[in-house]
Amino acid sequence: MTSAPGKYSFYVEKDAYEVTDRPRKLLEAFAAVLEHSSYGLALDVFARVTAKCSRCAASCQLYEATGAARDIPCNRSELLLKVYRRYFTQAGVFKARLLGGGFTLTEEYIDRMGENFYRCTACRRCKLTCPMGIDHGLITHLARWLLAEVKLIPKALVVSVREQLQGVGNTSAIPPAALIDTCEFLEEEFRDNYNADVKFPIDKEGAEHVFFPAVSDYLLEPDTLMGNAAVMAVSGGSWTIGTKNYDGINYGLFYSDRMMERIVKNEVAEVRRLKGKKILIGECGHATRSAWFGRTFCGPDAPEVVHCLQYAHRQLKQGKIPLKDEKIEERVTYHDPCNIARTGKITEEPREILKTICRDFVEMHPNRTENYCCGGGGGTVSIDEIREFRTKDMGRRKAEQIRATGAKYLVAPCANCKKQLKEVCEDHGLKEVTVIGLHDLLLKVIDFDAYRRQNQNEAGPVAATTQAAKAEEE
Amino acid sequence: MDAMLEWARGPVFVFSLTFMLLGLLRHVLVTFYEMRRTLGRAGDKVLPYRQILKATAQWLFPAGKIRHEPLFSVTSMIFHVALLVVPLFLGGHILLWQRGLGISWPAIPNALADVLTVVAVVAAVALVVQRAAARASRDLSRASDYLMPLIVALPFATGFLAMHPALNPFPHQAMLFLHVMSGNLVLVLLPITRLSHAVLLPSLQLVAELGWRWPLDAGSKVEKALGKQGEPI
Ligand code: SF4
Repeated sequence: MTSAPGKYSFYVEKDAYEVTDRPRKLLEAFAAVLEHSSYGLALDVFARVTAKCSRCAASCQLYEATGAARDIPCNRSELLLKVYRRYFTQAGVFKARLLGGGFTLTEEYIDRMGENFYRCTACRRCKLTCPMGIDHGLITHLARWLLAEVKLIPKALVVSVREQLQGVGNTSAIPPAALIDTCEFLEEEFRDNYNADVKFPIDKEGAEHVFFPAVSDYLLEPDTLMGNAAVMAVSGGSWTIGTKNYDGINYGLFYSDRMMERIVKNEVAEVRRLKGKKILIGECGHATRSAWFGRTFCGPDAPEVVHCLQYAHRQLKQGKIPLKDEKIEERVTYHDPCNIARTGKITEEPREILKTICRDFVEMHPNRTENYCCGGGGGTVSIDEIREFRTKDMGRRKAEQIRATGAKYLVAPCANCKKQLKEVCEDHGLKEVTVIGLHDLLLKVIDFDAYRRQNQNEAGPVAATTQAAKAEEE
Repeated sequence: MDAMLEWARGPVFVFSLTFMLLGLLRHVLVTFYEMRRTLGRAGDKVLPYRQILKATAQWLFPAGKIRHEPLFSVTSMIFHVALLVVPLFLGGHILLWQRGLGISWPAIPNALADVLTVVAVVAAVALVVQRAAARASRDLSRASDYLMPLIVALPFATGFLAMHPALNPFPHQAMLFLHVMSGNLVLVLLPITRLSHAVLLPSLQLVAELGWRWPLDAGSKVEKALGKQGEPI
C-alpha cells in the first residue's frame, strides 16, 4: 500500500511515513557514511569553495525548462552542503554553539531534500561547467543515500531492488524457467526469420563473457537481445547467460551504496560461479556504470567489464561481423546515455558502427560528453507517476534535439533511455521517430547467409575453434 | 597617522601574511593527506589521470570555457589576472620586500599596473552587477557573494588613489592606511573563505573523482555502523 503523491511528487512506501526522528537518524547515517566511505574530502572542499557563479544553471536542462531557483544545480547541492557545514565542520559546530539559532536540520528540510534530489537525474552534465569542479551528480548520489536511510525513497526504486535482492532475483521478477523459455523462443525466431542457428548459451561454464543485460530487455526488447546474440554468434564469441543472476540493472546506484554493493557483488559472484572471465553488459547505461564499480566493491581482481558496444565494435573492425550490402536507408541519430558517455568512456564505438551500417547518420547537438540526458536518468524513468515532469520539464531539451535531427531512428543503447525517449517522443508529438537499440539495427544488416556458408565450409563447430584461437590470442 | 601606518604595515601585515600562509599551507597539507588516505583505502585505485589533468588544466587556464558564458567568463578571467599580477609585481610592493627582507624580482611598468588596477576595480563592480542582473545567479547568491569581489577590490581602489594624489580627495596617509589594512583583510580572508580556491583549485578535479572512490565494503560497513544488517529492504 502506498500513500498517493501529495507529500512528495512520487509514491513512497507506507513505512516512509512512519519513521520518527528523521533529522537525528539522517545525521547518524551521514556520520557513518563520512567515516566509512570517501565522500568526506569532496564535501569538505566543495563546501569551502562553492562560488555560486551560476554557470551550472545554464548547463542543466531542467533549469533551462523551468527557470525555477530550486532547479539550479548549485542550489540543490547547497541543501546538502549546508547540513555538512553545520554538523560536520568545526567552524559550523563552533558557530552554532557560540551564536545558537542558525540552521537546524528539520523534518521539513528533509522533505525538501527528498523532493529536490529526485528532481535531478544525476546526469553530471553540470559538472563540466563548474569552475570549482563541484560534482553535483556526486552530491545528488550521496544525498539520496542519506534520505534512503530514513526511508525516503521513491517506491518504484525500492520495489525493484527488493525483487532483485530478496525476491526472484531480478528487477522484472522473471523466474529462471521463463528466462530459458524466452531464450528458446528467440532461438526459434532466428531459425524461422533468419534461417540461422544462433544460440543463447545458458549456464555454460568457462565462457569468456557472462552476459548481463537490463533484464527488462527479455520482456521488452527482444530485437536488442537477438542483436546481441547474433553478434556473439557470427563473431564466434564465447558467452553465456547465468541462471542464478541475469540482471544487469542496479537501482542501488540511484539511492543507496549499500544496495549497490550487494547487487554488484552478486553479479561478480555469478561470473565466478560460472568460471567466466568478463562481465558483458547489454544495452544499458547505468548497468554498465554500476558494473564499472566492480573493483570498488570487490577489489582489484574483479572481472573486467565489457560493454556490448565495445565488443561489437571490436569485432566489426576485425571484420568478424559479416554485413549485407544494403545499409539502413532511413536517417539515424544517436543518443549518448550519460552513464557511458559523460566521462568519454564510450562515445566513438557506437558512432563508428552506425556510420558503417547506416547511409544517413546525423548527430544531435551537443553530443558525446556534453550530451543532454534523456530526462529519465538517475532511476527517475521508473517512477511512472512523474512522467509529466520527466517528459515535459526534464525531456523538453531532448525533444528539441531529436526534432532538429529529423531522424527516423533514434538509437539509444540503454534500456532506461529507451523507455524515457519513447515517452518523450509520445508526449512531444514526435510520431515519426522510432526509438531503437543499436543491436536492433545490427540485427537488420548482419548477413546470416554468409554466416551459414562460413559455418558449413569450416564444417565443424566454428564457434569453438574461433574461440580457442581467441583464447590463445589473449 | 604615521604610527598607525607603521603598525598596519608592520605587525598587522606580518600577522596577516603569516596567517594566510599558514592557513593556505594547512589546506594544501590536509587536502593532500586526505587525498592519499582516500585513494589508499579505495577499492578501485585506478584513476583516469589524463582526464583529470586535462580538466584541471582547462580550469586553471579557462580560455576554452569562455563560450558557455562569454561575458561573465571574460570579466572573471580579467579580474583574476589583475588580482594575481598587480600585488605581486607592482614596483612599489617589490621595493617593500627588498627593504624588509632584501629580496626582489622584476616589476611590471607602473603604467601597466595602473591600467590593471583600474581593470580589477571595474571588473569587480561588473561581476557584482552581472550577478545581480542575471536571474540564476541572483537566485543563488548569498550576501557574501556580492560582498566578496568588492572586498577584494578594495585594496586596488585605495592603492590607486594613494598612488595618484591628484585624483585623491582624501588625505594621502589615511588612504595609504586604508590600502594596507584592506590588503591585510584580504590576506586574512584567503584561507577562511571561498578565496581558498586560490590554492585548492589545482586539486579540485581529482578531489571530485576521489569522491567516487569508495573503500572496499564501504556499504556493508555503514550498514553495520547503523545496526542495519539483515534488515529487510
Ligand atoms: S546532474 Fe544533470 S540533472 Fe542534475 S543538476 Fe546537474 S545537469 Fe541538472
